[in-house]
Order: sequence, then C-alpha cells, then structure tokens
Amino acid sequence: VSAGFADGMMLAVAPTHLLAIVAIGLLAGRGGRGGFVLVLFVVGMLAGSLAIASAIRETPSALVLLALAALAGIMVAAAIGLPSILVNVLTFATGAALALDAPPQAIGIAAAIASQIGTGVAAAAVLLLVVSIATRADRPWQRIGIRVVGSWIAASVILALALRLAR
Amino acid sequence: MRATLVRTWLMVGALATALATPALAHTGEGGAGGFLAGFAHPLFGPDHVVAMVAVGLWGAFLGQPAIWLLPVVFPLVMACGGVLGIVGVPIPAIETGIAASAIVLGAMVAFAARPPLWTAAVLVGAFAIFHGYAHGRELSDGANAVAFAAGFVIATGTLHLCGITFGLLARWPAGRLAVRAAGGAIALTGAAYLGGLV
Repeated sequence: VSAGFADGMMLAVAPTHLLAIVAIGLLAGRGGRGGFVLVLFVVGMLAGSLAIASAIRETPSALVLLALAALAGIMVAAAIGLPSILVNVLTFATGAALALDAPPQAIGIAAAIASQIGTGVAAAAVLLLVVSIATRADRPWQRIGIRVVGSWIAASVILALALRLAR
Repeated sequence: MRATLVRTWLMVGALATALATPALAHTGEGGAGGFLAGFAHPLFGPDHVVAMVAVGLWGAFLGQPAIWLLPVVFPLVMACGGVLGIVGVPIPAIETGIAASAIVLGAMVAFAARPPLWTAAVLVGAFAIFHGYAHGRELSDGANAVAFAAGFVIATGTLHLCGITFGLLARWPAGRLAVRAAGGAIALTGAAYLGGLV
C-alpha cells in the first residue's frame, strides 16, 4: 500500500501533469482565487478517480491536459484575467483529466486506492504551493517572472500537443 | 552616418544571403531523451545561441517594457514555428533565416537601434518562427516529448536571460560599449554562418 501511495505521488509530478498543475495554479493565483480553486481541483480529481473506478474506457486525457495547460499558460503570459466561472471550470477539468491520466498501476484494490490518494495529495500540494506563490507575487519583477513561466509552459505544451496530434 | 552604416550592414547581409550555404547547427537529428536532452539541444547550435542572446541583449538595450516583453513573446511564437515544423509545412531557407536573425538582431544592438516596440516585437517574432521551425522539425514523439520540449524552451529562455543580464551593463557608458560590441560580434557570427565560414 505504501509503495502504491509513493507511485501515485510520482504520477502527479510527471512532466505533463506538473506543467498542467503549475499553469492552472498560476492562472488561479493571479486571479486571487486560493482555497476554492484547491477544493474544485480535488473534487475534479475525485470525479476522475470515480470514472476510473467505474472502468471508463480510455480517454484522451493527456491531450486534454496539454490543451488546458496551453490555454492557462497563454492566459498567464498575456496577463489576461478570465472570469471566475471559467477559471473554476478549467480547474475542475484539469483535476479530472489529471486523475484520468494517472490510472493506478497497482493490481490490488487497496494499493490502487492508495496510489490514487498519493496522486491526489501530491497534485494538491503542488497546486497549493503554486497558487500561494502566485498570490503573493505583487512586485513587478515577480509578476513578470510569472508571465515568463506561463509563456514557457504554453510553448512547451503547444509543441508537445502538436507532436501528439501530428504523429 | 548611422544610416550609411545600416545600409552597409544590410548590403553585407544581402550578399551573405546570396552566398549562403546551410548552417550546420540543426542537423536533423531528433531526440526524446527527456528534459536534459531538450535543455542541451539549443545549446549545441551556436547560431541559435547567439541569436537568443541577442534577443535578450536587445530587450535590455531597449529597456522597459521590451526587456520582458520580448522574452515572453519569443517562446510563444517559437512554439508556433515549431508546430509548422512538426506538421511539415514547407518553409524555405530556414537555416538562412536563423543566421540572418543573428545578423539583424546583433546589428540592432551594435547600432543601438531603437525602433518602436511593435516593430521590435514583429522582428523578433518573425525570427522566432525560423528557430521554432528548425526545432520542431527535429522533435521526435516519445514518452518524454513533453519533458524534451520543456527542456529546450527553458534553455532558450535561459539564453534570453543571459543576454538580458549582460545587456543590463548598458546602464553604464563602458557597459554600453561592451554590449554594442557584443552585438557586433553576434552579427559577425551570424554572417560567418550565413557565408558557410563556420
């Protein structure tokens, strides 16, 4: 069970997942939406986990995650503030897609559940960290740094998305 | 005097373009070796390196808001160029465009050119297409494609930051001279690539 938990935590920081979490965290943090966003993200992950538990067919969750990260990254880079409802939807969708894209590799039910919990804990922790940093970034150079990171994330996932779709 | 110098540089650039042979920084080799491979990828293309440093130098030279706008714009436009390369849209003279980017951007720094911000952004964005296209063509799909892409985007951004850091020396008279000299060196390097001398 502990190995499953650790494996789940590692799934949360896979490159695609990490970029998506950071992008949505920066977007939400710049909008000053802290706790509620975290709750939405966790609820989204729960929804995704339930979908996996109900033996849902394979989904294009990786592509969706990349697309969500690209959108969030572009918004952060361009410093475009989205309406709260849209940020909430993006956050929920990112959580759900992340859970769907991180199916537990364990065979036993207990280990599989531990793996999903591990993914959820690690992903939520990273999101909380990023939102906290983005919320507190008030100085001009900090805001510029966030926009640069958003630009880098968007550029990375756009390329990866194009690769996945084209080849 | 300055207009004459610019005209001379443009003539040199046009002549070098006419005599150009493909630069060898982009060899067509792909790679999905993860973040480190992606990070190393742009660092081993000297023509790419000098152009990226020139973007940072020029941004620092132009001051606010170009100092941060150009490094934000470049990766996004570069990614668009990368998509064109991945999809296989034919764009001619990519290597020539990359070398030309070093010449033009280096010359802008060397001559302390201060065009309107939109002109600088369009110029840098246009060259970003060439750089992105070359990288996109060499990207290969794989499990680490995201990490690879993130690696070379971050490496490119780091090169911009190096240029910006050095460019900040332009606040002092001696530093300004050093920055302009670096711009000249970058332009000459680009011309050497364009002429097949490197």
